[in-house]
Amino acid sequence: MAAKGNAPFSFQEKTWEKYGAGYSGLVVAPTGFGKTFSVFLGVLADFMNYPEQYASGLKLLWITPLRSLAKDLARAMQEVIDEIGLDWSVEVRNGDTDLKAKQRQSKQMPDVLLVTPESLHLLLAQKGRVKFFQSLKCVVVDEWHELLGTKRGVMVELALAFLKNEQNKLRIWGITATIGNLDEAMQVLLTNSKKKTKIVATEKKKIDIQSVFPDEVEILPWSGHLGSKLVEKVVPIILKSKSTLVFTNTRNQSENWYQLLLEAYPDFSGQIALHHSSIDGNIRQWIEEALSEGKLKAVIATSSLDLGVDFKPVDTVIQIGSSKGVARFMQRAGRSGHSPFETSTIYFVPTHSLELIEVAALKEAVKTKTIEDKTPMLLTFDVLVQFLVTLALGGGFKADVLFDVIKNTFAFSEMTEQEWRWCISFITTGGHSLKSYEEFHKVVENEEGLLVVEKRRIAMRHRMNIGVIVSDAMLRVKFISGGYIGMVEEYFISKLKPGDKFILAGRVLELLRIKEMTAYIRLSAGRAITPSWIGGRLPLSSNLSQFLRDKLSQSANNHPTEKELKFLHPLFVKQQETSRIPNVDEFLVEKITTKEGCHIFMYPFEGRLVHEVMASLMAYRISRLYPISFSMAMNDYGFELFSDSDIMLDDKQLAQILDRKNLMQDVFSSINATEMAQRKFRDIAVISGLVIQNLPGTQRSNKSLQSSSGIIFKVLEEHDPQHLLLRQAYAEVFNQQLEEPRLIAAFERISQSKIIYRTATQFTPLSFPIKVDNMRQSLSSEDLAQRIAKLQKQNLRKKPKRK
Amino acid sequence: MNIIEREIVFAGSELILNNQRVLFWKEKALLVLSDLHLGKASHFRKNGIALPTEIATKDLQRLEKLIAYYNAKKILIVGDLIHAGNNKEVSDFKNFTTRFDDVDFILIKGNHDRISEKKLQEIGIPYVYDSLRIEHITFSHQSNPESNIFEITGHTHPGVRLKMPTRGYIKLPCFVVTDKSLILPAFSHFTGLNTSSFSEKAVYYAFSDDGIFKI
Repeated sequence: MAAKGNAPFSFQEKTWEKYGAGYSGLVVAPTGFGKTFSVFLGVLADFMNYPEQYASGLKLLWITPLRSLAKDLARAMQEVIDEIGLDWSVEVRNGDTDLKAKQRQSKQMPDVLLVTPESLHLLLAQKGRVKFFQSLKCVVVDEWHELLGTKRGVMVELALAFLKNEQNKLRIWGITATIGNLDEAMQVLLTNSKKKTKIVATEKKKIDIQSVFPDEVEILPWSGHLGSKLVEKVVPIILKSKSTLVFTNTRNQSENWYQLLLEAYPDFSGQIALHHSSIDGNIRQWIEEALSEGKLKAVIATSSLDLGVDFKPVDTVIQIGSSKGVARFMQRAGRSGHSPFETSTIYFVPTHSLELIEVAALKEAVKTKTIEDKTPMLLTFDVLVQFLVTLALGGGFKADVLFDVIKNTFAFSEMTEQEWRWCISFITTGGHSLKSYEEFHKVVENEEGLLVVEKRRIAMRHRMNIGVIVSDAMLRVKFISGGYIGMVEEYFISKLKPGDKFILAGRVLELLRIKEMTAYIRLSAGRAITPSWIGGRLPLSSNLSQFLRDKLSQSANNHPTEKELKFLHPLFVKQQETSRIPNVDEFLVEKITTKEGCHIFMYPFEGRLVHEVMASLMAYRISRLYPISFSMAMNDYGFELFSDSDIMLDDKQLAQILDRKNLMQDVFSSINATEMAQRKFRDIAVISGLVIQNLPGTQRSNKSLQSSSGIIFKVLEEHDPQHLLLRQAYAEVFNQQLEEPRLIAAFERISQSKIIYRTATQFTPLSFPIKVDNMRQSLSSEDLAQRIAKLQKQNLRKKPKRK
Repeated sequence: MNIIEREIVFAGSELILNNQRVLFWKEKALLVLSDLHLGKASHFRKNGIALPTEIATKDLQRLEKLIAYYNAKKILIVGDLIHAGNNKEVSDFKNFTTRFDDVDFILIKGNHDRISEKKLQEIGIPYVYDSLRIEHITFSHQSNPESNIFEITGHTHPGVRLKMPTRGYIKLPCFVVTDKSLILPAFSHFTGLNTSSFSEKAVYYAFSDDGIFKI
């Protein structure tokens, strides 16, 4: 590196020193500052100092969350090795690696191997696994912040515990961007390492955040339509930049923006591209390459491009709509201006005017470096039983020996012996009672007392399904003339008839027929529907909501300094006139009576998921006062209860329903936990092997083994209610869906706030977007815009003023 | 078990549909059902997917009660009696049929019924056809919309997806009836639902534990 004229950063030098002293550790540094070389050069230096300690074979195992990162990383590593003049070889092994290379690796491992968590587990499922790892000195987990808090992170924990048990002196290093809970991140990764250290880079990435303002402030904002007005302002930004990444939050939104940009500036045709997870891998790879080579003016992407190799030509990033979290926003901003001393520029395009407050909040959060935690997952038995079968495949294991190894992971440190025995019986006899699972066949004990998989068919199926990423049943979309274009959910395509048109990858496609998990299409033109892919609707993080409440309350005073708040001034005035802008120590409740009925709005600013629970809870508590039924709507800022009869609530009753006493009991009574658990069980069933995933493009060779997780959930609830995987589903509901700690904190805060209860006869700027979201549920999209325009007119007799 | 019925006229005959997934033709004392998928759970278990045996037991208990309730003399299974080859659950079906000496078990072969007729005889199914016509109604496993005859079929596991007044959807199994055809719901509870739309003229009789209603 010195030869290239780069002086090392101090965190790099420190990493080399600690690595040399035999430490494991966690390196924390922003992207673009050479995190990779901190640990990698440490390993090389150690080898050159003590070559006698290194045997031939695999020495360094490098785990990355993303396949696309591996190839470039391997190239960069090999370059360094060649420059130094070592004879080490660096290779990649993942789903993209061809069979021949894999076979060669299995015979003779390279010195450095780059894998994903999934491909590592696949290696552990091979009989030769002991041989593969016998010379291993170091495992590096790259982008640990991406894995922590997910089931893939648990996969890494399990694999590390297994490897560490085989090689006691193994050094483990994590590399991570800044997150809120770094100490915990280190604890999870390095539970088994005695000598460990955390190395934090002091270097900081500069981020410049620019808001894109509409011409006029919309006093009654609603989400979704502002894009078409702002596209005219986005075009010049793209034109003046070398290359731009446009981030959207959903695939649907990215398809729409692609169309909008082409309509606004037809010359973009051929110069811009669309990148999301439903677009075929080959096309995506082509786009990524074209982007690296500077051939594309802009790429409209979803989180599919959050991570990955740096695209050198990209100098501008545009974020459409709320990023929902500080970490994600900073990560996306960092996709432009890569060199350590460049500034990353990100433009924020609001989808409704209220989102501009979020920019003010984000700026504050970035300034104070208040970044979200990644909460590690615990006791994910679905991942564990999958791992146990994986180990049974790769030569087997002894249950009592492995128990201690698993107990040593962070995720399973609280596992009881009883739960462990359940997991073993789940894979050997099927379940707790032998009788009720007769004829079960999966893992058996062999003569040496090892638990192994004997049947080839079971082994093959397990290998194909290793991993914890569960997608909806997807169909590959293929041109009748040949060539794939991408994937769509089976759910979406099942509603279409041959001849119907839909949009994918920016093109209008006509459905011809469906055969063996493949939808055959041809190019078409004219009106078409964009699939609304399920999922991807992230709630606002609690960090961001804190800043949001602060900014909103600041805007209540008349002299805000931030541009965004100044711009929104007319909206705030209207809110103050018709209701109130809550101060930090206030909690606002609005009761709005219109022709159609009575609306109660509350604004906890805690994100959609928490609001969903709170809305059910409020509805439940009110209905205990007197009989009434509600419909509910929510966004990230607040929620609505609507009833066609009057919702009578005096101040005392309001205080009563907002009370934090008996909070969780009432939550349990108000929600349908079974239904929520059933949804969570979907992933669990696939990961644990109860449901076999239909892989896109493959023939349904397992058709006689198909069933849905919903059916299995019901069966188990009825016949085996103590099933550990069912209990896990409920636990996931409480931890993730209900966000219990956040819910309790919210009520804690509300109970200390002054409750402001306002009544109105027209919608306020804060309530309007929630109301509109509710209308969206019941109306088709064509008349929605008209209906809303009418509603806006009714509400605002005078026209909104120009800024 | 809560049996809720609905009478319809199809091809000039009075038929009873009920929320326990069967059709009863009173005049013929004929109980018609489809897609029992015997041995499915066992097939899963043999392939390493852990499911309890009670699933199959429950389906057969329900069938037993229905036979008694209607005092049926003939049981017509419109295909997919067996899920995937022979196994213990399939063999055990013999114990079930022998208990009904005076009842004829008739099978219309479905795409899943890939075991020998000899084996079918062994488990108590003496009558096996590809399709069967009784008066002017033809019973077969899969529907043939072009045939222009009155037909009663199974195979698709029909269901409907209903929007709930608040949020979300529920899925319910159903009978699908047009003037020419009638599709039966899958009898086994351990089956999925196919909610893609059928003929536009179709009437759906969806049901749950507490009712059966027309959509």
